[in-house]
Amino acid sequence: MDESVRNYIGIETEEVLACDPVEAGAVRRFAQAYGDIDPIYRDSDARFGGPVAPLIYPSQMFRRDFYDADPIDERASDPDFDGLGQNATQGLPAIEPLAHLSSLNGGNELEFFRFARHGERVTLKSRYADIYERETSKGKMIFVITESEYRGEGGDLIVRATRTQIRR
Amino acid sequence: MNVSPSRFDAIPLRLDFEDVEVGTELPPLVKGPLTTTHLMRWSAAIENWHKIHYDAQFAVEHDKLPGLLVNGTLKQQIIAQLLKDWAGREGWVWKVSFQFRGMNRVGETLSAWGRVTTKTAHPAFGLVELEVGLMNGEGKESTPGKATLALPFRGGPAVPYPFVPPVV
Repeated sequence: MDESVRNYIGIETEEVLACDPVEAGAVRRFAQAYGDIDPIYRDSDARFGGPVAPLIYPSQMFRRDFYDADPIDERASDPDFDGLGQNATQGLPAIEPLAHLSSLNGGNELEFFRFARHGERVTLKSRYADIYERETSKGKMIFVITESEYRGEGGDLIVRATRTQIRR
Repeated sequence: MNVSPSRFDAIPLRLDFEDVEVGTELPPLVKGPLTTTHLMRWSAAIENWHKIHYDAQFAVEHDKLPGLLVNGTLKQQIIAQLLKDWAGREGWVWKVSFQFRGMNRVGETLSAWGRVTTKTAHPAFGLVELEVGLMNGEGKESTPGKATLALPFRGGPAVPYPFVPPVV
């Protein structure tokens, strides 16, 4: 592994606001797409203070904002473009020395404190917690560990996620 | 109210800590067969355009994969849904972690499972730890993990919401 990769450890983002609030239509498409037809995602529930989004939903809210560049256009002629845009790195800068490697989702640790409510704005702050190389049965792989905190409008923690991306 | 027929009719809204024993197995949650259309729908719902989920030529020729892969984000949703449904409205899914150890290919049917490993009573609720995973139709595990749920005591109030982790 190129030693300059280690310079990325500890890099963190500013707190960023998701491009859209929690939207009823986006929640519906999300819940239907994995087949979780739970009334709490559509109808008001007293315990949760109104209709809510699925537990992991806040971690999927950080998408390409309206005026953001379009990586699909920009890399349309690039045979190595894997289709992933900025949402793959949770707002963190891409690790340039690893740009030529493919990316696999190695695993996740998620901690939930509440559901996000419809209409709510959610913020994200992420950091590269660790990057290391390990010999595996399938050869050398690089593990990129990202920690992310998703908070509500009042600053309270909704979800904490620790992701492992495998680059090889 | 136009709520689709779903498994929620059959799921108790409340599961008490006393109803659970070490070794208790959760009723599995089965999804599939997962077609390319399912994967495309999920990719669209989360606006993640990683080609390995819908572009077979890219997956095989560029990324040297055996074929299209089921999204890790979709796999974790199935496990989270299993846990949320089982914990009931008055319980809470505090933590879940998993490793994406094995690939699941398009066409597979996946079954989320869970088994209670420990129980610990705290002042306001009980904590239940579980092994969880995702098995394909051939009985191969791809997504082993762990989870911690909070459950109310029999005759007691619901687990406080938003969830406040116990001080250890």
